[in-house]
Amino acid sequence: MIISKINIINRLPLFLLLIFSIACSTTEQAKMDDKDVALEWANMTLYITRYTPSNSPTFASRAFGYIGLTMYESIVPGFIEYNSMNGQLNGLELLPKIDPTKEYNWALSLNAGQSEILKKIYVQTSGENIQKIDSLEQLVFNQVQHDIDNETVLRSVSYGKSVAHAIFEWSKTDGGHRGYLHNFDKTMVHPDRPGSWKPPLFAQSFSHHPLHPHWGENRTFAAMNETISDPQIIPYDTTPGSPYYQQFENVYLKDLELTQLEKEAAIWWGDDPDVSFTPPGHSYYFATLALEGHDSTLIECAQVYAQVGMAVADAFINCWKWKYQFFTERPNTFIPKYIDEEWESFWPDPPFPSFPSGHAIQAATAATVLEHNFGKKFTFTDRAHEGRERDELKETDFVIRSFDSFWEAAQETADSRFYGGIHTKLDNEVGLEKGIEIAKNINALEWKKTNEK
Amino acid sequence: MKNNLTLQTIHVIIFFLSLGMTSVAQQTFTDITKSSGIDHEYQVYEGTFGGGVTVFDVNNDGFEDLYITGGIKSDRLYLNNGNGTFKDIFEGSGLELTNEYVTQGVVSADVNKDGFRDLFITTITTTDGKNIIPRAKNLLFLNLGNSTFKDVTDAYGLEDLNSFSTGPSFGDFNADGYPDLFVGNYFQEFTGKLGIIKDATIVSANQTAKSYLLQNNHGEKFENIYEDYSLGHKGFGFGGVFTDFDNDQDQDLLVNQDFGYKAVPNFLYRNEYPNEHFEDVSKETGMDLKINAMGAAVGDYNNDGWMDYYITNIKFNMLMENQGKGLPFIDKAKELGTYNLAISWGANFADFDHDEDLDLFVSNGDLNPNCTPMGNFYFENNKNTFTEKGRELAINDYGIGRGSVIFDMDNDGDMDLLVVNQKPILNYPIPSTTKLFRNDIAKGNWLKVALKGIDAEANGIGSRVSIIANGKKIIREIDGGGSSHLSQNSVIAHFGLGVNKVVDSVIVDWTGGKQQILTQVDANQLIDIVEMNTPAKDQSYFWYFLSTILMLIIAFILYRKRMLAKK
Repeated sequence: MIISKINIINRLPLFLLLIFSIACSTTEQAKMDDKDVALEWANMTLYITRYTPSNSPTFASRAFGYIGLTMYESIVPGFIEYNSMNGQLNGLELLPKIDPTKEYNWALSLNAGQSEILKKIYVQTSGENIQKIDSLEQLVFNQVQHDIDNETVLRSVSYGKSVAHAIFEWSKTDGGHRGYLHNFDKTMVHPDRPGSWKPPLFAQSFSHHPLHPHWGENRTFAAMNETISDPQIIPYDTTPGSPYYQQFENVYLKDLELTQLEKEAAIWWGDDPDVSFTPPGHSYYFATLALEGHDSTLIECAQVYAQVGMAVADAFINCWKWKYQFFTERPNTFIPKYIDEEWESFWPDPPFPSFPSGHAIQAATAATVLEHNFGKKFTFTDRAHEGRERDELKETDFVIRSFDSFWEAAQETADSRFYGGIHTKLDNEVGLEKGIEIAKNINALEWKKTNEK
Repeated sequence: MKNNLTLQTIHVIIFFLSLGMTSVAQQTFTDITKSSGIDHEYQVYEGTFGGGVTVFDVNNDGFEDLYITGGIKSDRLYLNNGNGTFKDIFEGSGLELTNEYVTQGVVSADVNKDGFRDLFITTITTTDGKNIIPRAKNLLFLNLGNSTFKDVTDAYGLEDLNSFSTGPSFGDFNADGYPDLFVGNYFQEFTGKLGIIKDATIVSANQTAKSYLLQNNHGEKFENIYEDYSLGHKGFGFGGVFTDFDNDQDQDLLVNQDFGYKAVPNFLYRNEYPNEHFEDVSKETGMDLKINAMGAAVGDYNNDGWMDYYITNIKFNMLMENQGKGLPFIDKAKELGTYNLAISWGANFADFDHDEDLDLFVSNGDLNPNCTPMGNFYFENNKNTFTEKGRELAINDYGIGRGSVIFDMDNDGDMDLLVVNQKPILNYPIPSTTKLFRNDIAKGNWLKVALKGIDAEANGIGSRVSIIANGKKIIREIDGGGSSHLSQNSVIAHFGLGVNKVVDSVIVDWTGGKQQILTQVDANQLIDIVEMNTPAKDQSYFWYFLSTILMLIIAFILYRKRMLAKK
């Protein structure tokens, strides 16, 4: 049962609310409904992802998993037809229980839980960012607590925090805890054979060590996602005309005839962790777009964030397992050596092996989850990088994108890596294919009592 | 495109090496590392960064000595014995403090104008392994005149500048005769002690950095005035070089930035002297290069009277040709033949063969721990086009090159070369140790000019020397360091003269505007030019003239008044 006495006035963006609450703290405040509370926390999560230094797609994906799950678990006892993930995920067994005889306000619980888990997972963020998290918590708290008895308020806040605490304790044992301190294992010796990954010369990062080489050993959220079969690579062959050679030749030929539209796609999906909310952030943002475009309840919102978060996290774990298992070269290594010495990719190389594409796998995972919740058809506009300054070097603008289905966006995400010259078609195809499998294992968890999926 | 393949197999390297040893038909450079007693390899901290050298005459005996950084190993102070050999006098020199630091680059100038050249050494962290975040202060040592040094880092106000510093350079941007410093920083710098280190501090540590512009206050103190001079940028800095790109006789600043396509690009700052301000003219001059700029060679390779810049990079370097006043630079690397695939760091323009134009040496090396051998380049200038002759001239060493310097090791009038090489982290097919190459290719006449500044910087850093021989004008800047990579060439200007036995005139434009001219100078000698206490050029004559007339008028008026009063 949701205790909600808040009227929908409108859905002012958060910054307006903040200004409003500061400027007119004694007068009536603009109010958010429960759904807004969920969405604002997702926005805050994306903000912290973007503005925490040394972030990576891997660490960010994991954070979305725990933050989304915390959102869901901090309210799920209030929704009789939904199941907790307690006992369904890899080793998550000790989530706190509610007192069924007492009343709770689930927006307050969610609010407290999100603030807590964000600050615990992103403990490395700046003091300024911590303040931003606290102000959002305070803002929501001030609005929601009206007309609710003090004990219920305290009980709800305390429950939300205890869920966050329990999930954070569980997160510590997955292999990725404080992973930002170990982005690069400088002692590790990597395979050196024909076709093996070489540190990039046209690089996104100053590191010549590959990112998170042990990430593939991390615990997945869904146990089934540890059992996905390995994909197939094409055997190394430098003979012109061989399937291996053709993979790279295609990248090379595409680069020679890139259209402006393809260049726009290539830079749009870059999602460089140094300047954006990372590729899994792009997926978490799509969850928000989908929820905004639908009449969703609080629990539906939380479920979608939990599913997208955990799905992209599991996608990155599997992807990184294969990246280091196969340890394959990028087009920037093969093409200058065997096709054109002067060639350089349109987009700089990220610091990790090629196969399969992390962009593709996580995009497919998110699209599959979103399709499962909202159906295949959904027309939306992606404004993730709207207003960013033109890339003068590449003579390309950041142009907003429109799609008619989630899958269309996933397909473009994958294609964009091919246009950027940093992935072969095979990297993308395998990424998309495996992404679907991973998402299905998240969808297949018992989210609802009726076992309706 | 006839590019030299740099990614060679071991067999090819061995083949090349043996060719280098057997091809004696032509005069070449000669690797005299062993016989000279130089025994050095730069040892990296984690990877990639480091290895510089400065050329300076530590004891003023007329033979130029060397200070070479060692990274996590000891630095070296090599005294030139004058007979083709060097002696390491590091132990007992007072410089042993550097053992506590991972040293990077080094430059030398007479900071306090006592007649001896002092040392400024950049560092990235300490060697005790205690720093969670690699940062340390840079080190300043005063030369006490007896080949020993005194640490004055703290006394000169440099104690609190904790940085991950790369390339230093001395210059005199305010033309007060005291050498100032520009220091490139790579990762975010900190001021003072770091205290308790939280995760937030660690993750913020790899952000881009502001560099330092350190003004030398009367030889007594350095003061960071980076922002006061409008140098606001943050980036992955590899240092800069003071140079007069617009021929207005003050020192402008060229700044090299790694990851220019992602963080901030290269900068060219125009000195607005006498206004205390640098103007960012990177964009309008086309020098905002979005590359992995590692270093720069400075020289007027086409003898048009304007300084050109060769900027080293990953993969392909840029030959930025100065088009003159108000016009943007143009990259001529491809057109003129200095466009060869490699990862380049140091670079030096010099007239190695004494044919009156500037040739170009480029020091190459993989990023380490990436360890693919790549040979150094030697581009011979022939009527303003370049031909790569590294192998032919036996100077294509396959060590992991970083800083490189030119100097006349044996005082025979031509420019020899020292290249700092890194110890490979991974397996490497050949030894990678610092190399000294004696120049045995020079044939023509030459002239060397050493400056002794009085009001200007003591060794003429920031000044320009021009010669006119047989109607041809050739210009040189005195290197305060930061050209090449983390290093500093000889401060003695060197000119190849071809068949000319006499130089018609030698012109010195001292920083601050004074000009001094010598005529009819014989070739094949080193001349010392001491700054004369003459007034600065024509403009000043005018003011002297004007003030004299004014004084006469005043005197006349006063005289008339007195005469009138008497009446």
